[in-house]
Amino acid sequence: MICAPLLQREAKRNLLLLAVFAGILTLYASVILTMYDPELGESLAMMKDAMPQLFAAFGMSDPGATLAEFLANYLYGFLFLALPLVMIILLTNRLLAGYLDRGTMAWLLATPRPRRQIAASQALFLVGSILGAVLYAGGLCALLSAFLYPGELAPLPFLRLNLCLAALLCLLGSLCFLGVCAVSDSRRGLAAGGGVCVVFLLLQMLSQAGEKWEWLRYLTPLTAFDSSSLARGDGSLWPALGLGAAALALYAAGVGAFARRDLSL
Amino acid sequence: MNPVIEVQGLTKDYGQGRGVFGLTFQVEKGEVFGFLGPNGAGKTTTIRQLMGFVRPTRGGARILGMDCFRQAAAIQAHTGYLPGELSLMDDLTGDGFLRFMARMRGMKDLGAAEELKEFFRLDGRQSLRKMSKGTRQKVGLVCAFMARPELLLLDEPTSGLDPLMQNRFIELLLREKARGATILLSSHMFEELERTCDRVAILRAGHLAAVEPIAALRQTRTKRYRFTFPSSGAAAAFSDAWPGVKAEGSSASVALAGQEKLSRLLALAAGYDVKDMSIDGGSLEDAFLDYYGEEM
Repeated sequence: MICAPLLQREAKRNLLLLAVFAGILTLYASVILTMYDPELGESLAMMKDAMPQLFAAFGMSDPGATLAEFLANYLYGFLFLALPLVMIILLTNRLLAGYLDRGTMAWLLATPRPRRQIAASQALFLVGSILGAVLYAGGLCALLSAFLYPGELAPLPFLRLNLCLAALLCLLGSLCFLGVCAVSDSRRGLAAGGGVCVVFLLLQMLSQAGEKWEWLRYLTPLTAFDSSSLARGDGSLWPALGLGAAALALYAAGVGAFARRDLSL
Repeated sequence: MNPVIEVQGLTKDYGQGRGVFGLTFQVEKGEVFGFLGPNGAGKTTTIRQLMGFVRPTRGGARILGMDCFRQAAAIQAHTGYLPGELSLMDDLTGDGFLRFMARMRGMKDLGAAEELKEFFRLDGRQSLRKMSKGTRQKVGLVCAFMARPELLLLDEPTSGLDPLMQNRFIELLLREKARGATILLSSHMFEELERTCDRVAILRAGHLAAVEPIAALRQTRTKRYRFTFPSSGAAAAFSDAWPGVKAEGSSASVALAGQEKLSRLLALAAGYDVKDMSIDGGSLEDAFLDYYGEEM
């Protein structure tokens, strides 16, 4: 069901893109982590007091008492969602929309590989990249924490935080993937899938900015990723399971749509 | 024996008269079958259906007994394909692309690819992005032929090739035919198909106008022979000697269908002081009109 030559090709072709994102994640993670002060950085507190709503919009309302809560707030609340989303959109374009748009998909289909296998392989590469990014970002945070603040990061809540993030990002990836697979103009499909993800992110920001807009949180699956409670250790993994299952269903739907549709190659 | 390609009432309606409508034809094993038609006649659309890229609105197509849409992958194991609009993976070199495609096909042996590269004088070390149109076309051709498939689907295979390479291509096609391969190729030039095809399907506005042996088309094909004389007087004298000759200044032209009168015309011309002679094969439109007369 998986096309090894294609996966190898994509790994080679997208190595630079993935490396650049790893670099960006490294930059943000290390900058934010060094700002952590067990006594709570005064500068951050001052900034937050000066513009509480802006901080809240980016999910940084409650800096929390522990390192895990601090990370949940300042990295997992927004940056670790928005940056990987950009990566997901770029990758989906390279893995699928580009092939369809430029017509090079004709070559992949002029081989004894069924369409399902081609699409499933590209989905697998996308998911693999997302999991790799989360593993890298989480691992980096854990490593830096162990180095800078030994013993401060509670392992279990932090692990849960990362699991749930991975599930959420897989869901965002599946939306982009399904968009490209299902819409006949693949660039528009990607714009639709990626657009929905961006709207979800904006809705979350709005809902956090003030009570008036709080109801918006019910319109975005990002709500299922409650980074603060996961970091506090009282969040459940059920939402992560739900997100993962939804993602799986959407990837399968995308593969199915790709196998049935007309391709203007 | 079962035909290699069986197309039955194949229709793909894109609306506004675009698409192909009710195509029915068969291609036998070992046959070279041509698709002739002007741009937009439906040649590429038909080949896309055979490749299983699009699902027919009505009717269907089978290759080696398998459904072209539902069993596309199984069919591809026996098929070599050259797209009409050549778009290659520009991040690769020519050799890198051929190696990748060979792995996708599950081919172990690249001997045939090397031989074909030699045959087309293709240097595959260059990046595909930097290659000229003709060189890219050669890469596409090598890719289509390198698995030595039973069936070749070639959409405008000679586009971008210089005359020398066009001849090479025809040589290759005849060699593959001798090997027993079945070949379907499209073109908007009669001459190109004339040299290779056994039968030709003529497409017009999405409809199959006719499927004829190449010899029948050649018989009815009108060519215009133009002779240039030293003076307009000589041209006028020549035009009086052969009915239907049009004299223009010092040259005169005559249209002939088939070849039966050609030797008589040449014998007549030999009696004059002919300075130059040219043959115009006529456009595809002319060929259609010749073939169908007033029907169309």
